[in-house]
Amino acid sequence: MDRIVKLLRAPRLALAVIGFLAAWTATGAWAPWTQPGGPAALAWARAAGLAHPFTAWPFLAAVALLFASTLACTWGRRSRILAVRRGQLPPAALRLPPRAADVRAFLVEQGYRGEGELLTRFAPALWGGWLLHVGLLTLIAAVLVQQAFSDSGVFDLTEGETARLSAPGTVSGRERGPFAPAALPDVEVRLDHFDPYLHQPGYAPDRLSRLTVTVAGQAPRAEVIDRAAGIRAGDAEIFQAIPAGLELTLDIPGMGLRAVRLQGEGPRRAAASLSDPAGAPARFVVESERDLDSPQGTGRLRIALEAGGARLALEPGLAFPFGAAPARLVAVGRWGRFTWTRTPGLSGVFAGFALVLAGCALLAFPAGVARLGRPGEGAAAVVFTVRGAAAVAAEWERAGPPA
Amino acid sequence: MQSILFWSATTLYALATVAYFAWASFGRERGAAAGGALLGLALLPHAGSLALRWAEVGHGPYNTRYEVVSADTFLLVAVFLVAAALARGLRGLGVLVAPAALLLMGWAVTNFGLKREVPIIFKSWWLVLHIGFAKLFFATILLAAFSAGAYLVKVRNPAALPRLPSAERLDLYGHQLTLVSFLFLGVMIVAGAIWAQQSWGRYWGWDPMETSALVTWIVFGIVLHFRVLHRWSGRRMAWLTFVALAFAVVTIFVVAIAVPTIHNSYMVGS
Repeated sequence: MDRIVKLLRAPRLALAVIGFLAAWTATGAWAPWTQPGGPAALAWARAAGLAHPFTAWPFLAAVALLFASTLACTWGRRSRILAVRRGQLPPAALRLPPRAADVRAFLVEQGYRGEGELLTRFAPALWGGWLLHVGLLTLIAAVLVQQAFSDSGVFDLTEGETARLSAPGTVSGRERGPFAPAALPDVEVRLDHFDPYLHQPGYAPDRLSRLTVTVAGQAPRAEVIDRAAGIRAGDAEIFQAIPAGLELTLDIPGMGLRAVRLQGEGPRRAAASLSDPAGAPARFVVESERDLDSPQGTGRLRIALEAGGARLALEPGLAFPFGAAPARLVAVGRWGRFTWTRTPGLSGVFAGFALVLAGCALLAFPAGVARLGRPGEGAAAVVFTVRGAAAVAAEWERAGPPA
Repeated sequence: MQSILFWSATTLYALATVAYFAWASFGRERGAAAGGALLGLALLPHAGSLALRWAEVGHGPYNTRYEVVSADTFLLVAVFLVAAALARGLRGLGVLVAPAALLLMGWAVTNFGLKREVPIIFKSWWLVLHIGFAKLFFATILLAAFSAGAYLVKVRNPAALPRLPSAERLDLYGHQLTLVSFLFLGVMIVAGAIWAQQSWGRYWGWDPMETSALVTWIVFGIVLHFRVLHRWSGRRMAWLTFVALAFAVVTIFVVAIAVPTIHNSYMVGS
């Protein structure tokens, strides 16, 4: 057991693990196949786990090893700091040889303070490294817990449409941690108004939605969201996402009102495929006068139905043949995408961050403990400093001739 | 007026460079004092030009290359003057800070005319922390690298640059500035994570810039471990400080310019 702890505490192991994580992270993040729309991962990359770099076993194993190494490094460090604070300085502490100079005055000049034989400099900062390591342990543990319970997905809404997240087919792209609840959030969302290019003063045009959100057992409430901040809905949060597009509202006999969300196929063309009630494939195509994402608007739209090798122009409000009975194009609108998340344990992640930063802040202070030399010790003072020992030694050498 | 103030600041940075070079080359003691004073004086018109741009475009200096690089330069000089006030030994580093400020202003002015509205996600107070600490991070790691450079000069020739402190002290300054920049980078990453959580519901998305910042933070961790665990100092640590600076420059400038990322807008240049 001691050998394992000794191995985990070895500086070389810590550096190797950190170096591996840096190289793996850089490779994983910048590899062409991890970019949106990038090529497929190469065979060797798939074999090494670099196709999904941040869920692959080498990455997870390195994080686990980093946790173990950090824990081993932190273990026992507290007692060593307390011993230094009491003046029990480690053998590596700097021994200032006797010189014809006042060592106490020299140490005071170096920032050390104290009345007796023990002088300290930024003593609380002795805990900086320890706190940083405890913060890292907290952060790693909290991220693992948070990821295990996290849950997220997306849903699309058209103006005037209401969706219950827990209803089948509403949510797509769900990413659920292994311990997240299987049930979807019991929340109903209605998109009252959607403007994909609203020009808020001082900001570039962007999406803004007015929603009516109803959490199970609570009264409906009106909310406004843009991409700057989400809203809370029960145990979930809802955010405005970027994807948006044109939508055709169809009244189809036997199917009722259906929202057909079109996907962009070019700057001025969008389309969606849909089978008619008889099961025959059909395709709705919209072509615009200006770009589909032009903040000035799309201009005139040409709407067409492509089915059975024929192309039929459609007009809002008019009926058209669709399966056995005619359907009607009710309206042309916009759809917007929303994401929802459940992230329990997030406060633990940020607490870990806070501890890491507190440790970093303390490390910036050059903490130290100095003990004046005792008779027969052969040193004017023994100085322990977390950094800058060489500067202290050099400046003591210049303080006066050897005694 | 904005242009006049910008060029006034740039001229003062140029004069400070000349004064510091006179001190370093010809040993004119007044040169360093004049250089420091000119740097301090330059901050006034520089602040004025930034404030006027802020008033004109309605947002702080965090969009387009001109605004970002000009504000980075302002903070570099301000941080240097504060650090030099706290540690007098750092004053001589003005010989590197002044020309760096001049070059950065030259880079900034190439996009002086470009003005853009910021994305809606900038409607957050976390932005101020995130971007503010990114600028402080750049300023402190640049000063750390300058300390390391001065250390290498002093080690080779202890009589060189007599106004600078001993090589050991420069080594220590370099280490402390690296530690401070490690903290600032950490705050930048955390503020960005909280901001992302607020805007998108996820605190980490492995965006190239996020990843680059994390890798840089890890590299800084490695550099600091070499110092603390392996007692590396002196020349080796000076070169490692340059490595840390290279990672910082890649993160702050190269990734934002060359790699498709959600952070492209802040260095957009055309």
